[in-house]
Order: sequence, then structure tokens, then C-alpha cells
Amino acid sequence: MTHPDSGALHQAAAAEATRVPILDLHDVRKRFGGTVALNGVTLSVAPGEVHGLIGENGAGKSTLIKILCGIVKPDSGAIRLSGEAYEPQAPRDAKARGLQVVHQEFNLLPFLSVAENIFIEHLPRNLFGVVKRKDMNVGARSALDAIGLKDIDVSWPVERLGIAHRQLVEVARALMTDSRVLILDEPTATLTSRETDRLFTIINDLRSRGVSVIFVSHHLDEIFRICDRVTVLRNGETVFSRPIGETSHDQLVRAMVGQQLQKEMASEAISSAGKETVLSLVNFRHAQSPHVDGISLDLHKGEILGIAGLVGSGRTELLRAIFAAEQPLSGTRLRNGKPAPFRSPREAIQAGIGFMTEDRKEEGLIMTMPIAANVTLASLSSVSRVGLIDSKLENAMTEQLGADLKLKYGGPSRHAATLSGGNQQKVVLAKWLARNPQVLLLDEPTRGVDVGAKAEIYALIRRLAEKGLALLVVSSELPELMTLCDRIMVMSQHRIVGELARADFSEEKILTYAYQGERRHAGH
Amino acid sequence: MPGMSMKLVLRDAGIGIALLLLIVFFSLSTEHFLTPNNISNILTQITINLILAIGMTFVILIGGIDLSVGSMLAFCAVVAGTVLTIPDFSVFQAVGLATLAALGTGVACGFLNGWISAFWGLPSFIVTLGMLNIARGAALQVTDARTIYSFPPSFNAFGSQMVFGVPVVFLIALALVAVAWFVLSKTVFGRLLYGIGNNEEAVRLAGHSLMFYKVAAFTIAGALVGIAAMVYMARLNIASPIIGIGFELNAIAAVIIGGTSLSGGRGTVIGTLLGACIIGVLANGLILFGLSDFMRQMITGVVIILAVIIDKYRERITAA
Ligand SMILES: Nc1ncnc2c1ncn2[C@@H]1O[C@H](COP(=O)(O)OP(=O)(O)OP(=O)(O)O)[C@@H](O)[C@H]1O
Ligand SMILES: [Mg+2]
Repeated sequence: MTHPDSGALHQAAAAEATRVPILDLHDVRKRFGGTVALNGVTLSVAPGEVHGLIGENGAGKSTLIKILCGIVKPDSGAIRLSGEAYEPQAPRDAKARGLQVVHQEFNLLPFLSVAENIFIEHLPRNLFGVVKRKDMNVGARSALDAIGLKDIDVSWPVERLGIAHRQLVEVARALMTDSRVLILDEPTATLTSRETDRLFTIINDLRSRGVSVIFVSHHLDEIFRICDRVTVLRNGETVFSRPIGETSHDQLVRAMVGQQLQKEMASEAISSAGKETVLSLVNFRHAQSPHVDGISLDLHKGEILGIAGLVGSGRTELLRAIFAAEQPLSGTRLRNGKPAPFRSPREAIQAGIGFMTEDRKEEGLIMTMPIAANVTLASLSSVSRVGLIDSKLENAMTEQLGADLKLKYGGPSRHAATLSGGNQQKVVLAKWLARNPQVLLLDEPTRGVDVGAKAEIYALIRRLAEKGLALLVVSSELPELMTLCDRIMVMSQHRIVGELARADFSEEKILTYAYQGERRHAGH
Repeated sequence: MPGMSMKLVLRDAGIGIALLLLIVFFSLSTEHFLTPNNISNILTQITINLILAIGMTFVILIGGIDLSVGSMLAFCAVVAGTVLTIPDFSVFQAVGLATLAALGTGVACGFLNGWISAFWGLPSFIVTLGMLNIARGAALQVTDARTIYSFPPSFNAFGSQMVFGVPVVFLIALALVAVAWFVLSKTVFGRLLYGIGNNEEAVRLAGHSLMFYKVAAFTIAGALVGIAAMVYMARLNIASPIIGIGFELNAIAAVIIGGTSLSGGRGTVIGTLLGACIIGVLANGLILFGLSDFMRQMITGVVIILAVIIDKYRERITAA
């Protein structure tokens, strides 16, 4: 190896000799058919350490975690847990040895209640094997309170929850058992700062009790806030591992990308917003909205309008109602000034609207179908003639969009399930770009996408806006909204509580609005 | 989509090899298995189940099931049989109208199956269980529980017509397999059926009408029942309200042995063809082998379970 950081790696190895690691991986390798997922991962985690694991999309983080919990078997390499050889054959083995994992893609049972999901591994039962529902609900309540999920009822089916809440339920479930090592694969990708803060409090608490935590994230600021040590994977190899105090933001980026990243897009991007209103809502109210007057807003041609707000403020519900994925309760939707009472997503799409959903696994992708089929799912008429699919055209379109979005994939005919999380996200985006809509609703568009690809996607979205595409963007990442948008509206408790023009953007102002509504609500 | 079809081809190849092994086994262990006469015999026996199983493949691919095909077969047959025995028509007129009647009856029943389950969001298991009774009752009602026979002799002759030792009715079934294969693997329609079987919500949010595709799948299954009914009448020269009992289970078995997943979204009609052949070869071979009908039934049951186990196992390997 001749990369610039091999000296650092060496130093780190020397330092590691003095610690007794709880988890120790040496030269772990794994390939899936022709794809090399892990090409020599070496990693060592000390007891009570919070260990950051970072790398580009497809670098191999999730694969490594699947190996650690026994879902995937490595081709070669040695793993030791508390000094003993560790070769889990199934997730059961991992749990028995004190290793808990929260996966990047959720594994909740949608039709069971939140409480049942949390207790699924050890339901409290009486002598006759009947579930003690009361105990279960009380236990689940306190587990949720501990991570600050006060606003959901434990008897709700998981189906009812948005992805941020699902993520927190997953975490609560993992915390039910005492473990020695807790692995969190991109737990913050869907969380707003409020939930992230709570999660970090919990992690700090675990650390003080001697539990080791492996934490995966694409947000470097989070890595610097919470981690003791950070390891970088690049193309399946460990390229860098150091105590957090001995590294810097730039150094990590360079290690991940293998080169200097281009400067982020200029923050004073020129707004391309026109005067023409392409979409407006008047007293628009969706089924869950508690306010009679609903929401009113105008979206202009070429404009990028952001919607900020805390988890549960009603952002996703609003987008779903605009797209008629759920029928709105009342109010008017105008498209180019004309009433547009869509009854189904089909009609919304015919009116030139696209909607990228937040939950790629449940609503976005068909995992066991080819990437190309997913990319063209919403634009089949443009890759077919008299109902016959032109697979050449379809593959060409996939390759084109794949290149635009820096998709890392084996080929258009591989299943979507073979992609890494961030790359799956890009396919969902590609599906809507392929359709060429005039209005695009984006819900967490870059969830799980790495820093480099994010910059590319922002630039792409900008270019589309310049050509007249109007976008409504919901994101829990304020920096994302602030880089991308011409205007930001802040939602709280299903109401728009503030609006900021680009010149006035600041995290502080946005958060003030977001929490303001919250406090008013709490005061009732 | 080379990769996807490649995987499917491999899956089908496995089933094909199983079929070949069976054929080799019976050829070596029994005297009469590989005679031209017996082969055309097997092909004739397979035909009806194969036609029904093609339709069943469409339904199972979208995650549904159709329990009513056996009863629908009887209903289609008695309606068509009634038309066929109207004395004033010429043979051509009679057969043409009877075919339309069989198709129309099948399409109507299939449409109802699909529409009722899609519109009210009911499991197709329940709706088609209802249709199973409705169609059987209707068949008995229409005929007053009597059997219809004495069809035109030329119609009956067509049922036992051979081309180079292959029954014409089997060739019709093969042509239907080819059409179904084309529709499922080359068209937007087929693509969306697979999509619905895998992730309905993603397909809906991509702007497609779930209702249309679900109703279409059941309607296609109904149309195929109509065709199967005509073939049945041509071969056996009767139309009785009590035919086809349990046929739905054989059709489902062919689809499942052919590697189509009962939860939808995965499988091919080529697999279904092979599955129907395996059932037919087993039934015929085991008789020649000297096993009783009872033993035969038990072995078919074992094969169904084995097929599903193998499929589960294969799925796990490809998923890793
Ligand atoms: N089941 C599979 N079959 C084929 N290839 C796979 C499979 N699972 C993962 N891969 C490939 O292995 C590589 C590593 O994927 P992995 O999911 O570990 O990435 P990651 O680091 O978690 O990325 P992300 O940040 O996007 O979540 C990718 O190139 C991916 O396409
Ligand atoms: Mg991942």
C-alpha cells in the first residue's frame, strides 16, 4: 500500500498494542460474485470506546456490520471478540456474545405495535405463556421516554410511524438488552438535531458504563462530536484509523475520497426562481392536520423551496397529500393557477409532479428487481413502444442517470438490493429525474448519501432548477436546505410558523421557529 | 435485462434438470414410458393443467391466488356445451360461438374475481373461494345437474388430432406459454405485474393503477379457463357441471413446482411449463411403475413440498 496515510496507520497500530480491544478484526475480506465489498478491513475497538466508521457510499461499512452480526459470512480474515475467536453463524450468535446492531435498513414488523416490536425478542409472559400486555406497554413506554420519543403511543402499529420515529424505535429495541458492543449503522440519517442530541446523550451514557459503540455516519461533525476514534474505509479497505483528537475534517475527507474534494458549490448560488406560480396550496389540510385553516403556500417556476421542521411536524404528510398519495381533507391545490383535485398519484404524475419518498425500502424501490427497472418505473412510456420495453433504451437511460448521480453499481441488470444504502437512495432520485417532471417533491433526498455525491446531487438539482424545475424539499439536515434552497419555510405542529429568504438563512433562526411552535404547543 | 433473465434461466434450468432426471429414471425403470404412444398420452394429460397453470402464474405473480378455476372450468364448459349442441348451427358457427361463450364466461368470472378483491381490498383467497362455490352452483343450475354430450364429431376429432405424434391441443397450450412468456418478460404490462408482486406501494407511487393490473391478471386467468374448457370438451366429448373438481390445486402445484413464489413477484411461465410436465410425468411414470393411485398422490404431495423447500434454500443462497 502506498497511500499517504500508511504512516499514520502504522502509528495507530503501535498505539493499539497498548489497549486490550474488545473487538478486533484482521484483514477481513468479502466479495459478492464479481463485486469486492471488503478488501482487507482491519479494525480494533476498545472497551467503552465510541468508534466512528466512515467512508463513501459502497465503501463496505454495512457489509462489515452484517459480517459482525452473522448475516453475511466473510471469505477470509480473523475476528476476535473479548479476546476469543468470533465466527457468528446467525444474528442469534451475535446477540449471545453481547453484540447488538441497529441496521441501516429497518427490520420492524409494520403491523405489530411499537411495544411488541420493542419486546419482540423477549415478550414478558405469564405462567401460561400469555403475553403480559400491561407490563410490555409500561416497559416500552419507559424505553421510548428514555430516548425522548414522548409523542407516540406504544400501542400504535409501526406502520403509522414515519422513518425518523421508526429509527428511534429500532434504537430503543437495541437498548432493551445489555450489550457489550452496540453498532449503529447511520442512525442519524433521518433524525433532526433534537433527536440526534438525545441519541448522543444515550451514547455518552453507554460509554460511561463501558459499552463500546460503533457509529456510522456521513456527517463528519457528528463524528467529531461523539467519537473517540475514527476509522475510514475506502473501496473495502481500512485506509485510516486514529484517535479523534489527532485528525481533522479535511484529513478524513481526503482519506475517504482518496483526493481533495472539489470546493462545495458556491453558497451564493443565483436563484433561478421565476414569477410564475406552478403549484399553490390554499388552506390545504391533510388527514392528520389538527388545524382547520391548513397550509397555504406558493411554489414558483425554477424555485427551490425548503421545508424545515422537527420530526413529527407534518412535513412528510404535507408532501404525501400534495401528491395525492393520501387524500387531503380539505383545501385547494392549484397547478399553474388551475384547480388540480388529484385523486391518485397517477393523476399527480400526469400533471407533471414527481414525489421522492423518504422510505426507500417500503415505498421507493423494488428491491428484487433490476436497477434499470427501478430507474424507469415512473417513466416506462418513454422506454417502450406499443407496450414493449426497449431494454437497450432502458439500460442507456440507467447508465446516463447513474453517471450523473455517481452511482456505484455492478450494472443495470443487478438487483436494487445489491446496492449500498446511499446508492439505493440515488436510484430513487434517478427514478424521478428520469420522468422529467415540472414540479418535484423531495423527502429527505440525500438520506445516507456521502459528502462527495451530495455535492454532485446539489449541483444537479440546481441545474434542473435553472431549466425551470420547481422543487419542494423536505430535509432534516439544515445545512442541506441552506445550501440548496432559495427560500425556507419552517413547519411546526402541522403549521407554517416562519419563512426565511436566502439572505436571512441561519440555523439559529430556523431552529427558533421550529421550537417556538413546539413550546407553544407544550404550553396548552 | 441479461442479469435478471440469467438468474431466472438458471432457476428454470434446475427445474428442467429435475424433469430430465425423472424422464431418464422412468425410461430406464419401466418398459413403456418412452414409447411414442405414451409420450403423446402424457402430453394430452398435461394440456389442461398447463393451460390453467399459465393463468394461475399471472395471478400468483401479483401475490394473489385463484381457487375458483376448477369450478369456472365446469361453468365455462356447460355454457359452451349448451351453445355447441344448438341444432340449427353449422359446425363452424357452433364451435365459434361456443368458444366465444367459454371465453366470455371465463373472462366475466375472472374479472369479477379481480375487481371484487381489488376494489374492496379483499384477499383473493377469500373472493375466489366464494367464486369457487358460485361458479359450481351456476354450472349445476344452468344444466339442472345434467351432463351435456353428443357434440359435433369433427369437434371431437380435433381434440384427438396429432401432428407428428404431438397432440394439437398440447401445441395450443405451448403457443399460450410462448405468448404468456412474451407478455411477462417483454412488455410494460408484465413488468408492472412483477412490480406489484414485489412492492405494490412503490408501483402505486410511480403512477400506475394497481386496480387495472390486478383485475387484468385475474381476467387473463379467467380467459385461460375458457380455453381450457373448450379443450376439455373436445377431448372428452362431454360438458358436465361436476368436472374440474380440485383442478385449481393441480394448477397451483404446477406453478409452485415451477419456482414461482407464492408471495408474488418472482417466477416465470417457463417454470410453470416445466412444473406441469413434472406433475404429468410423475403421474404417468408412477402408474407404469406399478404404484397405486394413492401412493402416486402421496408422492406428488412430497414433490410439492420439496420444490418449495429447494426454492427457499436457493433464495437464501442468492440473497447472501
Ligand atoms: N448482496 C449483495 N450483492 C452484491 N453486492 C453487494 C451486496 N451487498 C453489498 N454489495 C456491494 O458491496 C459494496 C459495499 O456495500 P455496503 O453496503 O457495505 O456499503 P456502505 O459502506 O454501507 O455504503 P453506504 O454508505 O451507501 O451505506 C457495494 O459496492 C455494494 O454494491
Ligand atoms: Mg451502508
